[in-house]
Amino acid sequence: MPDTNAALAARDLSKHFPGVDAVSHVSLDVAPGEIVGLLGPNGAGKTTTLRMLAGILSPDTGTVHVAGLDIRQHPLEAKRRLGFLSGDTQLYQRLTPREVLDYFGRLYGMPDATRRPRIEALVAQLDMTAFADRPCGTLSSGQRQRANIARAFLHDPHVLVLDEPTTALDIISGRFIVETIRREKAEGRAVLFSTHIMGEAEYLCDRIYLLHRGRVVDQGPLEGLLERSRQTNLTDAFLALIGEPVLAEGV
Amino acid sequence: MRGGHVTTIFLKELRETLRDRRTLLMMVGLPVIIYPLMLMGLSRLQESRAEEGERSPSVVAVWGGVPHGAADTEAGALLDFKPWLGITAEVRDGLERGTLAPPPLDVERGDEKDATRDGGRQGGQEREAENPVLAAARMLVTARRADAVLVVWPGADARLERGEALGISVYYDSVREESRRARRRLVDHLESWRDKAVAQRESARGLPDGFGRLLDLTARDVAPAARQAGYVLGNFLPFLLVSLSLFGGFYPAVDMTAGEKERGTMQTLLCAPVTSAEIVSGKFLAVWLISAVTATVNLVSLAFTVGRVMPGGAGQMEPLAFVLTALMLVPVTLTTAAVFLAVAVLAKDFKDGQNFLTPAYLLLVMPASVTMLPGIELNAWTAFVPIVNIALLTKSLLVGEAHGDLVFLTLVSSLAYASLAITFATRVFQREQVLLGGKEPWRALVGLEPRPGQTPTPAMAFTLFAVALVSAFYGSLWLVDRSVPVALATTQVAFFLLPAVALTAALRLSPSGTFLLARPRVLALAGAALVGATAWLAIGGIATRLFPPPDSLVRALERVLMLGDEPLPLWTTWLFVALLPAVCEELLFRGFIMRGLRRLGMWPAIVISALLFGLAHASIYRLLPTFALGIVLGYAAWRTGSIVTSMAVHALNNGLVATLAREPQWAERLGLGSTEVSWQATLLGVAGLAAGVALVRAGGRNDGASDQRTAPARIEPDASGTRQRPG
Repeated sequence: MPDTNAALAARDLSKHFPGVDAVSHVSLDVAPGEIVGLLGPNGAGKTTTLRMLAGILSPDTGTVHVAGLDIRQHPLEAKRRLGFLSGDTQLYQRLTPREVLDYFGRLYGMPDATRRPRIEALVAQLDMTAFADRPCGTLSSGQRQRANIARAFLHDPHVLVLDEPTTALDIISGRFIVETIRREKAEGRAVLFSTHIMGEAEYLCDRIYLLHRGRVVDQGPLEGLLERSRQTNLTDAFLALIGEPVLAEGV
Repeated sequence: MRGGHVTTIFLKELRETLRDRRTLLMMVGLPVIIYPLMLMGLSRLQESRAEEGERSPSVVAVWGGVPHGAADTEAGALLDFKPWLGITAEVRDGLERGTLAPPPLDVERGDEKDATRDGGRQGGQEREAENPVLAAARMLVTARRADAVLVVWPGADARLERGEALGISVYYDSVREESRRARRRLVDHLESWRDKAVAQRESARGLPDGFGRLLDLTARDVAPAARQAGYVLGNFLPFLLVSLSLFGGFYPAVDMTAGEKERGTMQTLLCAPVTSAEIVSGKFLAVWLISAVTATVNLVSLAFTVGRVMPGGAGQMEPLAFVLTALMLVPVTLTTAAVFLAVAVLAKDFKDGQNFLTPAYLLLVMPASVTMLPGIELNAWTAFVPIVNIALLTKSLLVGEAHGDLVFLTLVSSLAYASLAITFATRVFQREQVLLGGKEPWRALVGLEPRPGQTPTPAMAFTLFAVALVSAFYGSLWLVDRSVPVALATTQVAFFLLPAVALTAALRLSPSGTFLLARPRVLALAGAALVGATAWLAIGGIATRLFPPPDSLVRALERVLMLGDEPLPLWTTWLFVALLPAVCEELLFRGFIMRGLRRLGMWPAIVISALLFGLAHASIYRLLPTFALGIVLGYAAWRTGSIVTSMAVHALNNGLVATLAREPQWAERLGLGSTEVSWQATLLGVAGLAAGVALVRAGGRNDGASDQRTAPARIEPDASGTRQRPG
């Protein structure tokens, strides 16, 4: 049974693609107001796991509950409570951020009375006024990512699933995103995000899941991971836990 | 499916597409500019060339002694006679010595139909066997030293004096415009010389005017100008319309599917609470609207251009034909938009999408080009061929001879194809792996994944039917010259049985489950025998009254039933007409196809397989009786869970009909007319059929029996079903 307190709960998720077991028996929980990191090398199954959690890929086995709703049985209701962002979720190049937000607001079933003020609030909050009416195709990657975040936050979801949200961003834009995530936590949202950047994970995460070859190799708060791996930083702990040699002190 | 969401997606797709200059150019710019440019440029070019040609004289080489006065041209006759120009020594020698005679026409090459249609005046069938004169003339005309060669065969003057006809041949090149013009001028000139000469002969002998002419024959065209314009337009307009309206949907379809995947926006859309049916509907409506607008702009532009360019109002289209043609674009664009979407979404990026769509585009356009062939018209069969039917209907609308029932049939079948295409597109969109840019085996997409030890799916059943029909169609072209038994046996075994067996093996299906290979009860067999003995009486008696078949069909059928014109022994009739079709057709229709449709329920499976069975008999007059027989056969097989029962019915039915066709005296002794079944016999047949069906019912296993044997197939999750999100 899923943890009834969890905003996001996955049990025994598996996904097989021709020739590869992308994800095997992964279970995880994220509580409201908690930031959970999903760490793993390339090909560990992070993106596949997150896609299954967001309901855009069906697992072969296992269940996903979003705010207590089974995503298979109630896909539309579950998606309404979930915001998803990844490197593959881009915006329409010939539409402006405001038009994109309006489009998704309609798809999320937000009435005019709440959709319009919400879009204006997000444009102001994410500092998008300067480019909100320019076609997305003409924006910088940092501007695009802000518009994308606005899109994921638009319908005020209980759960945020973010797949490497800061990849390909400069330091300033990356920092802006990280601070935005912290703010969302403070508002009681459950956040699950994957990243390559260990510093981000150390700074943000309440708990961390380590994923390797489609399986969860360890999970828990940062301190626990360091203790179990007998390392002093997350990078070394990560390498030790997935069975790779830790090269030298302080890497 | 929620209309509001579909509208939101539709409007967004439209807005995005209209901001793409490429699409706008294809949609409006190109048709508005290209037709006037193309047609006006072409007609200018043609006019100036034609004028120039009309002014310049034709060079005619004259070989042989021209009779007095025959080569005298009036001023402005534009014929330039060149005696002995380019003649070879051999031919000249033969002509001067009088050893050459007119070669006979090559009869084998002459096509009677062509000759009548063109009044024998067009080139192509006026051929003679190779000979030195022909070779020399060909060399001269091909080298363009002369436009035509006039050969006067030896002894012309002497024959003329004796009052006989003289032999003159005109050699020309039907492919070259100048040469055709020279031939026309030459023939006109010689005919007017002949008329004068005949008149002289008549007055010299004191005969009345017209004695030698006998007929003053004139031909008058009854077609009104609009019909003529329609004929001209009808030959190329449908093709143009289909290909251009297809073109309008090409880029939007790729952009909204493969393009979205490439740009990463497809996944964004999948995060939102929308169903795949809503996504596909919104996108489909957008692609369709763009195709339809493109097609309409094309039609309007073309109509204006043709009206301006064609001389003497010949290009004026009837307004009604114009409106109806525009209406025809609705089903065409519906079908093509759905096909395009379904195909383009399989591609991973824009370039890939173009590569995928180009063959699909050609496959859709090529059939439309048949409208440019003579003799192919809209009828009860071509009305069912997708795309072709619309192209042919457009053609007949333009000529003003479209019949209401064919319009209806075409629209119904086109809408059916459109909904099939949309269903396929929706199915593809439900495959999340496809939408996320991953690969999905094509077999999974078309529903042809192996199902070891199970029964076929509806998709497999329809695929097999299509394979059997297509191979039978092409096979019949090859079988046309074979004897009836060979044709029958090949059709049954190679086109019906083999594909069914091969597909069963390839998909690793259970042979006994797929073909209902089970032993029936004795009671069921007795019922089958009674049904087989009476079904033809009941069905034939009713069907021939409702739709009397034309004589030509009756004769053709009789020829098949008799196995050709030479009567063969009775046992061969039973083998080829009764036993073989009973085994092969039953395994195909009541076996694979009906079992494949099983999950639709008993009656839908029986009715649909019977309809396909009827359609496979390729005649509107046979559709009803074969459909009715198909239902009886389907019921027998389903109820008894055994193919043997329906085989028995089928064999007995065919065998009896064939025997009576062979031995008409037996039929008369039984009180059956040779063409019509009497009411009494029909009633007797109905009674026997009812009793037989009751026996089959009694001898059948209970309703669920045939299903329980393959129960695992029911429990196994249906790949397409489980992923459907509630709308």
